[in-house]
Amino acid sequence: MNVLLDGGVDRERRVIRFVAFGLAVVVSVSALTARLFYLQISNGTQYAALAETNRSVLQPVPSSRGLIYDRTGRPLVTNVPSYAVKIRPGDLPVSRRAEVVARLAALIGMDPADINAAIDGNPGSRFDLVRIAQDIPRATADVILESHLDLPGVEVVVETRREYPQGPLLSQIVGYTAPISAEQLDRRADAGYLPDDLIGKAGVEAVYESDLRGEYGAESVERDAAGQTLRVLQTVSQPAAGDSLRLTIDTREQQLAQQALQWGMKAAGLKRGVVIVMNPQTGEVLALVSLPTYDNNAFATGISNADYGRLINDTNKPLTNHAIQAQYPPGSTYKLVTGTGGLADKKITRTTRLTTRSYLTLGGTRFYDWNRRGFGSCNIMCGFAHSSDTFFFQVAGMLGIDRLGYWAAQFGFGQKTGIDLPGEVTGIVPTNQWKLDELGLPIYPGEVYQAGIGQGYDVVTPIQLITAYAALANGGKVMQPQIVREIVGPDGSIVRPFEPKVVRRVAAPASVLTQMREAARNVVLVRHTYNLVDLPIIVAGKSGTAEFGLRDRQGRLPFHSWFVGFVPKNPKIQPGDPRGLKAIARTDSDLIVLAFAYDSRTKGNTATEIVKYFMQLHFGIKKDFRIPYLLQRGNFYQGN
Amino acid sequence: MRAEPARFADWAARSVGAAWRSFDLQLTTYAALLAAIGLAMAYSNSVEAGRSVFEAGSTFLRGLMWAGLAIVAFVVVTAFDYKWLKTFAWPLYLAQLGLLAVTLAVGDGVGGAARWISFGPFAFQFSELAKILMIVVLANYLAARQGRLQSLGSILGACVLVVPPWLLVMLQPDLGTSLVFAAILAGMLFMSGASLRWLAVLGGLVVALVPLAWTHILKDYQKARLISFLNPATDIHGSGYQLYQAQIAVGSGGWMGKGLTNGTQTQLDYLPVQTTDFVYALLAEELGFVGGVVMLALFTALLWRVILAAWRSRDPFGTMFCCGVASMILFQLVVNVGMVIGIMPITGIPLPFVTHGGASLVSIAAGLGIIQSINIRQTRAEW
Repeated sequence: MNVLLDGGVDRERRVIRFVAFGLAVVVSVSALTARLFYLQISNGTQYAALAETNRSVLQPVPSSRGLIYDRTGRPLVTNVPSYAVKIRPGDLPVSRRAEVVARLAALIGMDPADINAAIDGNPGSRFDLVRIAQDIPRATADVILESHLDLPGVEVVVETRREYPQGPLLSQIVGYTAPISAEQLDRRADAGYLPDDLIGKAGVEAVYESDLRGEYGAESVERDAAGQTLRVLQTVSQPAAGDSLRLTIDTREQQLAQQALQWGMKAAGLKRGVVIVMNPQTGEVLALVSLPTYDNNAFATGISNADYGRLINDTNKPLTNHAIQAQYPPGSTYKLVTGTGGLADKKITRTTRLTTRSYLTLGGTRFYDWNRRGFGSCNIMCGFAHSSDTFFFQVAGMLGIDRLGYWAAQFGFGQKTGIDLPGEVTGIVPTNQWKLDELGLPIYPGEVYQAGIGQGYDVVTPIQLITAYAALANGGKVMQPQIVREIVGPDGSIVRPFEPKVVRRVAAPASVLTQMREAARNVVLVRHTYNLVDLPIIVAGKSGTAEFGLRDRQGRLPFHSWFVGFVPKNPKIQPGDPRGLKAIARTDSDLIVLAFAYDSRTKGNTATEIVKYFMQLHFGIKKDFRIPYLLQRGNFYQGN
Repeated sequence: MRAEPARFADWAARSVGAAWRSFDLQLTTYAALLAAIGLAMAYSNSVEAGRSVFEAGSTFLRGLMWAGLAIVAFVVVTAFDYKWLKTFAWPLYLAQLGLLAVTLAVGDGVGGAARWISFGPFAFQFSELAKILMIVVLANYLAARQGRLQSLGSILGACVLVVPPWLLVMLQPDLGTSLVFAAILAGMLFMSGASLRWLAVLGGLVVALVPLAWTHILKDYQKARLISFLNPATDIHGSGYQLYQAQIAVGSGGWMGKGLTNGTQTQLDYLPVQTTDFVYALLAEELGFVGGVVMLALFTALLWRVILAAWRSRDPFGTMFCCGVASMILFQLVVNVGMVIGIMPITGIPLPFVTHGGASLVSIAAGLGIIQSINIRQTRAEW
C-alpha cells in the first residue's frame, strides 16, 4: 500500500520536477538570449564604437622642423636622426622604479637623479611618454630594446634632433630646442604640442617657433591592449614641414667680430664683452657676439643637470645674451643724446662756446671732469671730441632731466628695440616721473648732470646704443634691428620678405644730426681714440667709460668701456676730403660696429681697440694698428 | 570449449545491435558540435599570434589533442557497464577526495592557488573529474534512498557527502568549482524528489550564511570581482576591466559578428583569458548574435537529451546521474555566459565543451559516456 502510494506520489512529484527542470532550462536560456540581444542588437552600434575606440588611436605625425641659414645661405642647423629614450610612467611599476632607473642610468650614462627629475617633472599624464635622453648611440638603443623585460616602461624612439654646425659661434642668436616644460605645454596645448615634444627655447628657435615647427599630421593607428602600434589604419592629415629662416647674420662677419672680441678680452683680461655689427640703413644685424657663451649642441643633445647648473651658476652668465638681455651704464656714448638735445632745443648752437674746467660745483658738491685740467673754452665739436664732462654737465643743466629723457627716447633708449631675439630688456631713462614712480623722490640737480654724461640712473643695452648711433649715421631713422631677414617656405617660396622697419624718425633737424656726425668724426680726428684716425678709412664714433659698482681702496670705481663707430659708404679717404668730414656729412653709412668691454680696467679704451681690430679684419687692412699697451691693466681715468 | 566463440559472437552481435539502437546519436552530435565550436575558438586564438596554428604548443593543437582524448574517454566509458559504478561508489568517493587532496598538496596555480597538476607540458585540473565523481557518489546515495527522501536525514546525508570535497576545493581556493558542487547537490536533491520544505529551509540557511561567508571566507579579490559585475563602469581599469572589455567584445559583434579570427577586442588582447573563462565573448564577437544563439540552442538540445535519458532510465541511479550532469551543465552554462554578458559575477567557471581546457572536456566526455552507458543498458522504463 504504502509502496504503491509512495510510488504514486513519487511518480507525480517526478513529473512535476522534470517539468520544473525543463522550465528552468528554457527560462535560463531565454534570459541569456534576451541579454545577448540587448547587448549585440539593441546596443550593438554603441559597443562597436567603443571597440573601435579601443582599437584605433589618433597618433600625431611630427613635421619636419624648418632650417636656419645665414644671409649667404650657409646652413646654421640641420635635422639629424637620433635615438631618444622615453619612459611611460604608467607602464613602470612603482615597486621597480628605483631598479629600472638605476639600470637605465648605467646604460645611457646619466645621473639617476636626472632621470627621476624628468619623470617627476613630467608635464603630461602617467600614460604620456616622458623624454629622458636624446641622441643615444645606436648600440645603446639596441641594448635597451633587447632588455625591455628588465626595463618596463622604457621606450626607444627614433626622431630627429637639431645639430648646429657652428655651435657656440651662433648659440646666442640661433638658440636651441629642448624638451617642452609643463608651463609651455599648458600654454600651447591647443597648438598640438605633445608632452614629450621639443620646443625652441632660446634665440630665433624660440622667437620663430611657430614658423619653424610646421603642422603635425595625424594618423589613426591600430594598437593592442599593451599599447603597441600594429599598423596605420588611415592618414588623417599629412604633416606640413615648417618654414625656414634666412638670417641677416653673416657667418663670416660673426667670425671676425668674435675674433676681434676674443683678442681684446684676452689681451685685457676681461670676463664679458659684446660686439655688434649692423647695417644702419636697414637695421640688419650682420654679427652679434656676446661672450662668454655656450654650445647650443649641448642642449640639443640633452644637457645634464650638472652641466646646466654650471652654466646657470657661472657669474659671467654665459646663457645671457649681454647684447640685449643685460643693461649697463652707457657713459660718454650717451653724450649723443645730450648734444643732439642741446642743439635741437637750441640751448646751444654749433658755435656756442662753454667754458670747461676741472669741476663744476653744485650745492656744495664738486662734479669733476675726467680731465682734471679741463679743455678751456669749447664748442660742441670740441666738447664731444674730447668728451668733456663739464661741457655736457652744462648742456644737461640747460635741457633739464625731462628734455634729456625726451631726446633719449627719441633715439630709442628706455624701450625695447624690437629685435627678434627673446628676453630683450628696456634699459632706464631717468625722468622726474620715473624717479617719482620708482623711488618716490624728485630728481636732484646733480643727477641731471650725471644723466647728461650717461652715468647715474642711465642704463642701456648694447643693442639700444648701436641702434641710436645707427640713427645718427643714417640721418635720423631709428631702425628696428632684425636678425631674421626672410622666412622661406619648404618649397623655397618667400613666405615673408625682408622689410626694413623704421621705428621712429628722430625729431631733430637734419642739420643737427649732420653736426653730431661731424662731431663724432672729430672724436677720431683729435686722436681721442689714438691712432684710429690713421686707418685708411673714415671712421666716426664715440667712446665711453662707464663707472659702476663699488670703489676700490684708492677710491677708484671699476668701469666698462664702450666704443661705437661707423663708416660712410665707400669709406676710403678721398683726396678732396682729407679729413673725411664731407663723407661723414652724408647719411649713406652701411656699417656700424659697437664693442662693449665689461669691467675693463685698462690703460686705454679696450672697446675702441676691439672695433679698430674688427675694421682691420673687415676691410682687409694689412697694416696692424692695434696698440697692445692700451690693453694693459691700469687706470687711465677718470672717464673719457 | 568449441561453443565459446559462437556464444561470444552471438552475445556481441546482440549487445552491439541493442546498444546501437539505444545509443543516443543526437546527444553525441550536439556534444560534438559544441566541442567543435570550442576548437574553432582555439583556432581563432592561435591565429592571433601570427604564427602557424599547428605550431607546437599552440592553443589549437592542444585543443585537438584534448578532443582526441575526450573521444577515447567517451568511447571507453560508453562501453563500460555503468552499474559497476554503483559497486565502486565508495572507493570512487575516496579517489575523489584523494585527487583533490593531492592537488592541494602539489598543485600549481596563479598567485599561490593550487588548482592543477602538471604533467610535463600538460596540466590537469582534477577538480573537473571530481565533479563527475561527485555526481556518481550522490547518484548512488540518492538512488539507495529512494522513497525515504521526505526525511531530513536523507537530505542532510547528501549534504554531508558533499562537504569534504567542497572544503578541499574551497581551500585551493576555487570558488567557481565549489559553487558547481553546490549546484550539483541542489539540482540532484531537487530531482530526487526530496522534500521541498526541507530544501527551502536549507536554502534559507545558506542565504543567511552568505554575510558570514562574505566577511570570513571570501578573499578580497573574490569580493572585488563579485561586486564589479554589479557596476563594471566604476573601475574599468581595475576589477571591472575584464567585464567591461567582455561586454564591448560581445556588443560589438552585432548580428553576424566580425568573422572568425577578425575580432578586434579579442585578437588585440583587450580581453584577457579569452579561450578559457571568457571564450563566449570571443565567440559572440566573431560569430555575432547568430553564433551566440546557435550555441545556446545546442546546449538546450543537449540538456533535452540528457534529461530524456534521466526520464527513460529505469534505474534510479541512472536517473540521478543524468540529473546531476544536467544540473552541472545548466549551472555552468548560465553562470559562465551570464558572467560574460554581465548578468552574473565573475567566478571562474568554465563553459562546458567550449572552454579550452583538457580536464573539463575529458571529464564531461566521460560523463556523457556514462549517460550513453545508461542509455544502452536500460530496458525502457515503464513509467
